[in-house]
Amino acid sequence: MNAPDRYERFVVPEGTKKVSYERDTKIINAASFTVEREDHTIGNILRMQLHRDENVLFAGYKLPHPLQYKIIIRIHTTSQSSPMQAYNQAINDLDKELDYLKNAFEVELAKHSREY
Amino acid sequence: MEGVSYQRFPKIKIREVKDDYAKFELRETDASMANALRRVMIAEVPTVAIDLVEIEVNSSVLNDEFIAHRLGLIPLTSERAMAMRFSRDCDACDGDGQCEFCSVEFHLRAKCMTDETLDVTSKDLISSDHTVVPVDFSDSSGYDSADKKGIIIVKLRRGQELRLRAIARKGIGKDHAKWSPAATVTFMYEPEIHINEDLMESLTLEEKTSWVESSPTKVFDIDASSQQVVVADAEAYTYDDEVLKKAEAMGKPGLVEIYAKEDSFIFTVESTGAIKASQLVLNAIDVLKQKLDAVRLSEDTVEADDQFGELGAHMRGG
Repeated sequence: MNAPDRYERFVVPEGTKKVSYERDTKIINAASFTVEREDHTIGNILRMQLHRDENVLFAGYKLPHPLQYKIIIRIHTTSQSSPMQAYNQAINDLDKELDYLKNAFEVELAKHSREY
Repeated sequence: MEGVSYQRFPKIKIREVKDDYAKFELRETDASMANALRRVMIAEVPTVAIDLVEIEVNSSVLNDEFIAHRLGLIPLTSERAMAMRFSRDCDACDGDGQCEFCSVEFHLRAKCMTDETLDVTSKDLISSDHTVVPVDFSDSSGYDSADKKGIIIVKLRRGQELRLRAIARKGIGKDHAKWSPAATVTFMYEPEIHINEDLMESLTLEEKTSWVESSPTKVFDIDASSQQVVVADAEAYTYDDEVLKKAEAMGKPGLVEIYAKEDSFIFTVESTGAIKASQLVLNAIDVLKQKLDAVRLSEDTVEADDQFGELGAHMRGG
């Protein structure tokens, strides 16, 4: 009866930003990114990619509640970098990794279909 | 931004591809990437499925909603789905099936005129678009299988009739499972098995046999001629630890060591037939890329922070 609409899980409501950024008021180079309508799929790959960055001192994500369709990513970096820089870098690296992966899969697929 | 790159270069090896099945190895990346791909394949790769049903006549034994639900679950060929629009952001129509960009119309008319039961199947659905049709499951290799019948929707007896109009739309599995193109997608860590040969040789043949048989799956075998224990199929290992417990119970701890290679995954992908299994993997990569692109910071967020940064630097006396 009062169930939320199914599309609310993945459609960003009008007037809300997909990603909002909030600096930590007490620690320099620490910030939280609130990403609307995303879940573990994005949260976990970003977190793991951020861990590969040596300027990142802390990176974590949480899904505050299963019915609040958003994740919060928290990043703390050294003074050599900034949370925003690390966040962008992580997305760029993942994007390139996926490009590479797609190409590798297509090459393998072509090789495989030739054999049969 | 001239920062160093932390990009990885994953390796892929395809073992087997069929239309509705694929098995491949993914290496040199981590579980987060493997799991993201799995999750996207199941819940976020779009397909087309019946979403709106208008029933004209239904005198069958099943009620209208029951039939509408069954129609929704029928897989439709969805090669075109990636290029289609979601009806919610289609500006050419209001998603009522009048528009070629976001919907496909189906008609079904069936009436039983004989004493024999009439099976109404997915083959009776007439599509307005030849690229979006119910998936054909009849085996092309052998025509001996007489059942080229499709999926049964309802059975009719003499005099019963079913007449309806249905609209299929693009959607994703996150919305409703009927839109999921994946029957199963799994991955496992590749196991690495080391047998301590010296310790193994201290066992009698009976002990070896009982140890080999302690594994619920056939991971080990005994070579007939040399009577040595060999790894028959490492991937059959389910990480159940039974052989390790058995070795301990026999007083031979360390008889075998088994590790999960944490950067090496074996994927199995089974498709519902809506799209080919290989295409499912490629679409998943594309969808994941789109998702990543959508979470990039927008210009105004960056600007707002730049101003804040200057202010902060000023306050710190910079």
